[in-house]
Amino acid sequence: MSEPILEARNVVYSYSRKGPKALDNMNISITKGTKTAILGSNGAGKSTLFGVLNALYKPEKGEVRYNGTPLSYKHKSIVKMRSEVSILFQNPNDMMFRPYVGQDVAFGPENLRLPKDEVDKRVEEALLTVGMEEYIKSPIMKLSYGQRKRVSLAGVLAMKPSVLIMDEPTAGLDPQMASEVMEIAEQLHSRGVTVVMSSHDTDLVYSWADEIHVINRGTCVYSGIPEPFYEDRMLVQRSGLLLPSVYEMNRSLADMGSCDLEPYPRTQTQLSVKTSDSGGKAFGTLHVVTATADTDIASVIAEKNLGSMPSGAYGISAKMAIKKQGYEVDFLYNGPENCVMKCLAGIDSVIICDPDVIDLATSSVKFIGGNGYGDINVDII
Amino acid sequence: MTNLFELEDVVFSHRKDLPPVLKNFSLTVEEGARTAVLGANGAGKTTLFYTLTGVNVPQSGQIIYKGTPLEYTKDGLRSLRSDVAVILQNPDEQIFCSLVEEDVAFGPLNLGLDREVVEQRVTKALRDVRMTGYERRPLQQLSGGQRKRVAIAGALAMDPKVMIMDEPTSGLDPQASMEVMELAEKLSLNGVTVLLSTHDIHLAYRWADVTNVLCEGRVEFKGDADEFYSDTETVYKCGLLTPSVFSMNRDVCAVKRIDPAPHPHNACEFLAKFGRNSKSGKLLLVPSEPEDAEGRFDTAVGDLKGTNKGVYGSDVRNALTDIDIEYRYDGMEGCFKDVVEGKDSILLYDPVYAPTMDRQIDRLKKFGFDIDCEVMR
Repeated sequence: MSEPILEARNVVYSYSRKGPKALDNMNISITKGTKTAILGSNGAGKSTLFGVLNALYKPEKGEVRYNGTPLSYKHKSIVKMRSEVSILFQNPNDMMFRPYVGQDVAFGPENLRLPKDEVDKRVEEALLTVGMEEYIKSPIMKLSYGQRKRVSLAGVLAMKPSVLIMDEPTAGLDPQMASEVMEIAEQLHSRGVTVVMSSHDTDLVYSWADEIHVINRGTCVYSGIPEPFYEDRMLVQRSGLLLPSVYEMNRSLADMGSCDLEPYPRTQTQLSVKTSDSGGKAFGTLHVVTATADTDIASVIAEKNLGSMPSGAYGISAKMAIKKQGYEVDFLYNGPENCVMKCLAGIDSVIICDPDVIDLATSSVKFIGGNGYGDINVDII
Repeated sequence: MTNLFELEDVVFSHRKDLPPVLKNFSLTVEEGARTAVLGANGAGKTTLFYTLTGVNVPQSGQIIYKGTPLEYTKDGLRSLRSDVAVILQNPDEQIFCSLVEEDVAFGPLNLGLDREVVEQRVTKALRDVRMTGYERRPLQQLSGGQRKRVAIAGALAMDPKVMIMDEPTSGLDPQASMEVMELAEKLSLNGVTVLLSTHDIHLAYRWADVTNVLCEGRVEFKGDADEFYSDTETVYKCGLLTPSVFSMNRDVCAVKRIDPAPHPHNACEFLAKFGRNSKSGKLLLVPSEPEDAEGRFDTAVGDLKGTNKGVYGSDVRNALTDIDIEYRYDGMEGCFKDVVEGKDSILLYDPVYAPTMDRQIDRLKKFGFDIDCEVMR
């Protein structure tokens, strides 16, 4: 797991010959299969770094390696590399190539010279994933910013990349859409995609990333798990950043003697768990119903007698089934977190999720059980 | 409070053959209130703002500004726009000139102000957004975040009575976002009515007095944010989620089986409600003019060695650039949090923010927390 998939070694890059160096001796190594966040202030060099990693820009000095091999910048090898490493740009308008949604999403796969059936299949799947399947024939001009962002994400998904680079994927999106994009990123990761993301949303990054790389003035000033970085308040400040509120509040509660510093909670739910200090009470059971796009959810729920419980959803296919069937759940967003909190308050709940994300859906239960905050029974159906 | 804007049954569509974006839209904006406008992408927030500034002419219904219906004549619009400034979500839509200082001066010059007054305003506005030194730079060469700051400076230089901010922090890094919110706070304290739309529900929850939620071209909710977020079904319908402090409070209270009210709106209030410590640290409040900020900093630190320091406000921050400060951008959050934890702390701020400090001290009393605080003379 710990082998690097993308590396920049001593990279120097400037946009114009006399201009300032946008990247100045940049060293970074992205670990295969790791949820990776790139942090830094406006103008630190994040987007330039992405351009260099994707061979849009050729470094003046230093080299970029993909799977251990230095990039050659020959047309053929660049095309091959880009079929595996995809970028989702911050501004969707920068990556719309064709007038209609379906055509636009097909652009990448067609360039890969895939058979037409395969292209159509990928376009359909990708649009379903981002919830834009009804717009396949719509002109892109008529879409809102948020809808364009989803179409551009579909275009990237249709490439089936092994590395997905997302530049500010949630900027400009409303909270529900932002949450969906993060769930999609989470699920792609669970399918083996290496997801790299930049974001100014400190809390969002902290709840998601395994590893962070902090960029300041074109140089990488920190690489590793987030906590040691946030421990150094002055370094955080010099890097143009702030502490995640979950990290900061946990530290405060620990300083006040209300809980131990470790384990570090990464999400608001995990912090709620630590704050609740629910020792020894009766907990609810978390029922996990796995669903694919064609599962008849209402009848499964009825059969197992789970209809009266608070319910949540998680995963691309499960949500698709829920939307198509008009089944109503209480928590369409942050489903696992909300359901687990119900259990902690002594109420049974049910989470409807894709088979391949059971681990993700129950990760908060593990956090709770593994750290002695309570025993929530998980019943997988 | 008096109503600054009143919209009655406004209907607006971009073209006759398109469905209306605003449908029987009624809204009042009270003078001086920190007013948040929330809603999903496409709910009508930006269209509303263009309607308030007279760019969009409604097909029916009217817009009343300060008791008088808006007239769509040259004079009527000029007088409205000398009062109401807008910061658009995309800075490129409001950049008119090629150089930074020209662009910031554009609005005030159009108001017919003296060159000298304009220059003063431009200098101050650029300092407030931390773009001093970029006066002669072409806007083309700036990053997206920097262009956003120039656009904000342009609106500040208008010295408006109403400031409309459409997603003012989107695309900005965390420190710059904090600075923009300080500016919004300062405008409110100076009597400017601030209308702010944002997708950052956490930020709006910390800041707003009044929350307006738009859904499909209508006002779905207006009032107190806690009441809105308690109704999960409506929150979902409106394309929103609950702010993390709100949901954490709700969840912890459910487990502990206690009343969720009073609702904490930020970290220090959450800690005051749930932390084990009830003994306050000492908060030394140090209002400082930029000229003597360094001297006052030294005096304050002399009394309390080894404590964390924070700053709030652009003037005092700029005056203390060479000094190590623990909370340089999150001064209020950091210092109040420390004090609730039982640690001493020193907070230096622009004197204009005194009411902001009082407000936080008062709010903490709701959580049974009395801050031990002293204002340095």
